Amino acid sequence: MTTVIRTSDLVKRYGRTRALDGLDLQVDAGQVHGFLGPNGAGKSTTIRILLGLARASSGVASVFDAHPWRDAVALHRRIAYVPGDVSVWPNLSGGEAIDFLARLRGAAHRDAGYRAEKARLVEAFQFDPRKKGRAYSKGNRQKVALIAAFAVPAELYILDEPTSGLDPLMELVFRREIARVRAAGATVLLSSHILSEVEQLCDRVSIIRAGRVVESGTLAELRHLTRTEVSFDAGNGAGAADGADASDGADASADAAFAGLTGIHDAAVADGRARFTVDSDRVAGILPALASRNVRGLRIEPPSLEELFLRHYGDEIGDGAGEASAAASAHTREGARR
Amino acid sequence: MSTLGALLGQRLRRDRWQLVLWVGGTALLAIAAVGGVQQSYGTEADRQEVLAAVAANPVIMLFRGLPSGAELDAFTLFLILPFLAMMAAFMSSFLAVRHTRMDEELGRAELVAATPAGRTAPLVATVLHGVGANLALAVLVAACFAGAGYAPLGSIVSGIAAAAVGIVFLGVGLVAAQLMRTSRGANSLGVWVLLGTFLASGLGNALGTPASDLQRIESSWLTWLSPFGWAENARPFADDAWGPLALCAVVAAVLTALAFALQRLRDLDGSFIAERAGRLQAPASLGSPLGLVWRLARGSVVGWAIGGLLTGALATSLGAVIDQIGTKIPAVEELFAALSKDGSLEQGMVVIFFTIVGVLAACAAVQTVTRARQEETHGTAEQVLAAPVGRVRWLLAFLLVGLVAAAVVCAAAVLGAWLGVQAKGADASLAWDALVAGAGQLAAAAVFLVLTALVFVLTPRLTIALGWVLVLVALLLGMFGPLFQLPDWVTNLSPVAVTPVATADGVDVKGLWWLLAIVAAGGALALGLMRRRELAAGD
Repeated sequence: MTTVIRTSDLVKRYGRTRALDGLDLQVDAGQVHGFLGPNGAGKSTTIRILLGLARASSGVASVFDAHPWRDAVALHRRIAYVPGDVSVWPNLSGGEAIDFLARLRGAAHRDAGYRAEKARLVEAFQFDPRKKGRAYSKGNRQKVALIAAFAVPAELYILDEPTSGLDPLMELVFRREIARVRAAGATVLLSSHILSEVEQLCDRVSIIRAGRVVESGTLAELRHLTRTEVSFDAGNGAGAADGADASDGADASADAAFAGLTGIHDAAVADGRARFTVDSDRVAGILPALASRNVRGLRIEPPSLEELFLRHYGDEIGDGAGEASAAASAHTREGARR
Repeated sequence: MSTLGALLGQRLRRDRWQLVLWVGGTALLAIAAVGGVQQSYGTEADRQEVLAAVAANPVIMLFRGLPSGAELDAFTLFLILPFLAMMAAFMSSFLAVRHTRMDEELGRAELVAATPAGRTAPLVATVLHGVGANLALAVLVAACFAGAGYAPLGSIVSGIAAAAVGIVFLGVGLVAAQLMRTSRGANSLGVWVLLGTFLASGLGNALGTPASDLQRIESSWLTWLSPFGWAENARPFADDAWGPLALCAVVAAVLTALAFALQRLRDLDGSFIAERAGRLQAPASLGSPLGLVWRLARGSVVGWAIGGLLTGALATSLGAVIDQIGTKIPAVEELFAALSKDGSLEQGMVVIFFTIVGVLAACAAVQTVTRARQEETHGTAEQVLAAPVGRVRWLLAFLLVGLVAAAVVCAAAVLGAWLGVQAKGADASLAWDALVAGAGQLAAAAVFLVLTALVFVLTPRLTIALGWVLVLVALLLGMFGPLFQLPDWVTNLSPVAVTPVATADGVDVKGLWWLLAIVAAGGALALGLMRRRELAAGD
C-alpha cells in the first residue's frame, strides 16, 4: 500500500511555543484517516504544513512523495481542502465563491460535468448560492468550502474539522460524500474532535496531543487497549439463586452480584445496576458466568473512542479520580455534540 | 446609568490611541500653521499681497479658507481652518461608523444588545463619545492658538469651529451607518459627503464677492450649504461670530435625531438599502487570482478614478482663470514657480492639482495591496493558496491590479484635464502638461505600491497602518512643503513631489529615474521574498 502523507519528527515553533513537537504521521492511499485531538493540539498546524502554507521548523513532511512547501502548486492540483472556519468574500455570492475555488482547482468555465456536480451538491446540502458572502451563517460558509471541495475530484481530501457548524442532517450528507470519494479511491485526512464522526467514518485514527501523535491504529487495534464495560440489573434478579440476601446491605449485595466473575475491574453497584469493566479480549471468558446467573438487562458496551481519548487526555481535566473522570467524560460528550 | 458608563468606557478604551493621534495631529497642524505663517508671511504687507492675490485668483480658495483680513491671527485661520475642520470631520465620521455599523457587522452589537444595554444605549454612548472627542479637539486647538499669543476669544472660537464641523460629521456618520449595510459602505458615504461639502465650501468662496480692499470675501450661497462654510463664516479673530456655529449644532442635532429615529425602525443588523441577490454562477473572468483581486478592487478603483477625473478637470479649467490675473503677486508666483520649476502659472496649477492626482492614485494602489493583508487575516487567502496557486503569483495579482488602479486614476485625471481644456477653450498645451504630469504621478503611485507590498511581505501586521501613513506623509510634504518653505531635500522625499513636469522649455524629468529604479527593485524584492514567506494564520 502506498503512503500518501508521511511526516517524521515534524517540529513547528512559533516563538517559544512548540506547536508541533516531533509529530509522526502516516496516511496510506485509500484510507479515511481520523486525526483526533482537542483544540490547540496541533491539528491545524500540521495541516498548514501539509498544504505548504507554513514551513516546518525541522523534521520531514511529504505528500505524494513531494515536498509540501516547495512543490505546493503541483501538489494542490491533487488536493481538496476544507478549513475548519471558512471565510468567504463578503461581496461575492456563495455560488461565485464556489465557482472561483473550483476553477482555481481546474474546473473549466463551461464544464458540464462540474456544473452538474455543483448543482447536485447545492441541492444535497440545501444551500442558497445567491446570497452575498457576508449574509451567510457559519454553517453556510462551511457549505461553500465543502461544495467547492467535493465538486472537483481530488486524490487527497484534507478536511480540518469540516462539519463544525453543520446540523445533523447536513452531517449525514457530508458522510455520504466521504463514502463516495472513498469508493472512488481517494484518500481522506479528517481532522476532528467530534468522536462519533471519526468513529463512523475512519479506517484509522491518529490521536494527537501537545504536538505529538500519541496513538495510531485502526479502531479495532485501539479498542484492544481498553476495557469493555458490562452492566446488568442489580435488583432482585441479581444472584437469583439466593434471593434471601436481597435485603442485606449494599456491600453484601455487590459482593453477591459479582461473585464468580474473574478478571473484572471497577466493580460497583449504583442506581440499581451492577457495572464492571473487563479487558476487551477477555469478554468471552465471562459470558458463561453471566449466563449461569441469568442476569437481566445485560448490556456490553465496547470502548468508545471517547474512552480512548480520555486515556490520553483525562489527566488534563481532572486528577485521575473517578468522579473527575466522569465529569470529564460528560464534558467531552458535550464538546462532541457541538 | 452604569450601563452607559460601561459602554462609554469601552469606547474610550478601544479608541484611546486612535483619538490621541487624531486630536494630537490636528493640534500639530495648528501649531505648524502658526509657525509657517510667521516664517513665510511675516509682515502685514506680505499678507495683504497674498489676500489680494486670492481675491484676484479665487482658485486658491479651493485649498484654503475664507479671507477675513490680513491680521496675523485671522490670516492663519484663513490658511488652516478648513483642514482643522477636515481632521475633526474624518475623525468623527469614522468614529460614528466604527461603534455602530461595524460592531453590528462583526456581531459584537448583538452581544451587547442582548444585555440590559439594549439597542439604544450603545448609540447614546457613541454620541457622547464622539462629542467628547470633539470637545477635546476644541480645547487643544484653542490652547495651541492661545499659547502662540493669539487672542483668547478667537482661539476658543477657532477650536469650537473645528469641533462643530466634527460634530456635524458625527451625525453624518451615524446616519450613514443606519442607511448602509456595511461599515465600508457607511464610511464611503461619509467620505463622499465630506469631500463634496468641502469642495462646495471652497467653490462657494471662490464665487464670493471681494470687499473693495480685497482683504475680505463674502461667501456665495453655495458655501452656506456646507458645514465647512459655516465654520469659516464664524471668522475667528475677525468677527468671532457664533451664529454659523449654532447652525452646525442644529444640523448635528437633527442628524443625530434622525439616526435615532432610523434605528428605532429597523432590525439589528438590518438596513434600509436592501442587499441585492448575488449571481448564481461566477462570470468567466472570476477564475484566477488576478480575476479575484480585480473583482474585489474594482468598485473602489471607480471611486478613486472619479476623484481623479474631477481633479484633472479642475486642474485645467481653473488654471485658465489664472491667465486673466492682471496683477503679479510675488509670493503666489513664487509658490507656483517653485512647484512648476519656473514654468507658467497655468503650468503651476496643473502641477499642484496633479500632485493631488498622484495622491489619489497612490491611495488606489495602496488600498489594493492592503487587500492582500485583509485576505490573509480574514482567512480567504488560505483557501486560494491551498488551491494550485503559488504565493508569488498570488501577490503579483495584487501588484498588477494595484498598478492598473493607479493607471486608471491617472488616465481619468488626464481625460478630465483634456475635457477642462475643451470646456474653457484654454491653451491646448495644458493638456500635454497634464499628460506629462499624469504619467509622472503614475510612477510616484507605483512607488507606494511596491513599498506597501514590501511592508506586507516583511512585517505583515503593519501593512495597513504603514501603507496609509506613507501616503499621508507624502501628501503633507508635497502640499505643505513648498508653502512652509521646508528645505528642498525634505520636500523631495515625497515621491509625488519629484515627478516629471512640463516646463516652458520641454519636460523636466526630475526624479523619474529614481522612482522607476525604486519600483523595479522594490517589486522584485517583494516578490522574491514572498517565495519564502509563510502565510500568517488567520485571526
